[in-house]
Amino acid sequence: MSQIRIVRIHNELLGTYGDQGNAEVLAFRAKFHGITTTIIDVGYNDPLPTNGDIYLLGGAEDAAQLLSLEALQRDDNLNILHFAIERGAVILAVCAGFQIIGNKFWANGQEVDGLGLLDVISVPGDKRLVGDIKTISTVLGFELTGFENHMGRTILGSGAEAFGKVVTGNGNGDSKFDGAVLGNIFGTYMHGPILARNPEFADLLLTRATGRKYAQITDPLALKYASWRRKVIK
Amino acid sequence: MRLKLSILLAKLAGSLSKNVLRKSGETIPGRVLLALYPKAISELSKSRKIICVSGTNGKTSTTKALVTIISKLGTVTTSPSGSNLDRGVATALMQKSEYAVLEVDELHLSRVITEAKPVAVLLLNLTRDQLHRMHEVKRVADRWAVSAKGAPETLFIGDADDPFVELALASAAQSHRVSFGGRKHLDGAVCPSCGIYLKWNRNDYKCACGLTNLNADALFDSGSAAYRNATLANVTGQLLGGKVIAIDEQSLERSVNREYNGVKANLRLTKNPASWTEALTSVTGNDVVLIVNSREVDGIDTSWLWDISFAVLSGKNIVVCGERGLDIAYRLHVEGIEVEVTNNFESAISKFAKGSHVHVLAAYTAFHELVRA
Repeated sequence: MSQIRIVRIHNELLGTYGDQGNAEVLAFRAKFHGITTTIIDVGYNDPLPTNGDIYLLGGAEDAAQLLSLEALQRDDNLNILHFAIERGAVILAVCAGFQIIGNKFWANGQEVDGLGLLDVISVPGDKRLVGDIKTISTVLGFELTGFENHMGRTILGSGAEAFGKVVTGNGNGDSKFDGAVLGNIFGTYMHGPILARNPEFADLLLTRATGRKYAQITDPLALKYASWRRKVIK
Repeated sequence: MRLKLSILLAKLAGSLSKNVLRKSGETIPGRVLLALYPKAISELSKSRKIICVSGTNGKTSTTKALVTIISKLGTVTTSPSGSNLDRGVATALMQKSEYAVLEVDELHLSRVITEAKPVAVLLLNLTRDQLHRMHEVKRVADRWAVSAKGAPETLFIGDADDPFVELALASAAQSHRVSFGGRKHLDGAVCPSCGIYLKWNRNDYKCACGLTNLNADALFDSGSAAYRNATLANVTGQLLGGKVIAIDEQSLERSVNREYNGVKANLRLTKNPASWTEALTSVTGNDVVLIVNSREVDGIDTSWLWDISFAVLSGKNIVVCGERGLDIAYRLHVEGIEVEVTNNFESAISKFAKGSHVHVLAAYTAFHELVRA
């Protein structure tokens, strides 16, 4: 596959914390691998494309999060996501997006059912968790850095594994784990955007989406940036 | 403790801080005064007309413009430049005057409205900024709306094209809604009043719940942020009995000209997606320095750099610096724009030949350091 489709879900709603950059970093890294990419922006009223290779969701405020959930539960959208997962597509969901793809979450003071793609539930905590975060990714086996800014406390069910072990910061709220992962579905609280801070993670997602192993990229600036953030966040 | 004595002690503390510690001494008096006399803001506001200016971008310069207008009506005190928390407000009020024009931080506005009972509040705009501190744009907007509703004696003036400002105007008993013919808003997808998907028709919004920028009390041509703020200052001045003045738009851009070893630099304050996007339209030359910091007032997270399209900088000579110079270097790299990264401003500006005109877009803390130097 030398052409992939990156689907940025509801960026107008889920774009408050800079996570839209994840799509740009994926497209940029893909170029080094000789993969051409199309970024498809899906608006609130648009149906999800059925042939996406990577679906992205970002962070949002409560009202926007609820609107995005409502749109994803509308018409055939949830089936489209289920089929996408079955054929091996990747989902990366950050913060509010991570909560949306879980089983349950809270927004505007009420509990709602999420999309149920990841076996997690999120509840509000008593204090907002804001600051730099560093984890060791269980999937990649090395350090990831980012920035967290959320009220959520996320509890993993038996069907999901944590995405990272927290070194610095709070992650899911217990300061032990961040995010969740199941196959090609990734959830995390890390902004930054996470793929800009951790370009190797972008490469992993491209590998997972295409089923191909790519040669390592030489991009000194990306490396310098990522390793600097890993060094300064103690 | 008596108010007069508290003021005396606060002034003494300010002068000590200035003369002995060599600090600016601008916020210390207010801080001391509020510690000694917590009700100082409400006490000192009673004898005069208070006008507050708040918003994400343009507070300092719009406050200055409004001071010029109001000073023709009577004596005016104002906040020390950029000092917009409650202590800056208290410092301003220590001086006797008929009017006080106060720049107020978005999150401190509610307290100041409650205590100072202003005759007028000018709301410029509300966009994403310092989210580590503000958390959410809607959170700030809700506070404004609650304050507006609870201040029936106060006239709220603002830019109705911004749905978050309009929420406050619509909640106020007395409002003057200004429109510049509509304008898209980065966070305008959701109605801040009722939470449904906000219906936009080109640049105008009209929600089923009634929130809209249409049917404003005053309609002006569209224009730059500086022009809008100048207009809003004049509208506010007029409503208070003042005369319209000509306002130099460059002064409202927070832009300053400096020279460094023969290199001419135009320094411009850039601190969030809205102000960067506005500033980028002014970059006409080819030589550019970008400075990004991440101290408290800059915003300690830099994720928002990805909200901005820097495409207009493509093909220019760009040098970046600041504590987070690498963040913007990588953001531009992904957009296909290569830059040179330097350790500090001195080495960045030295990359340009004598006689060149350099656009310097600087983070809040960097801008203030350069202007003060």
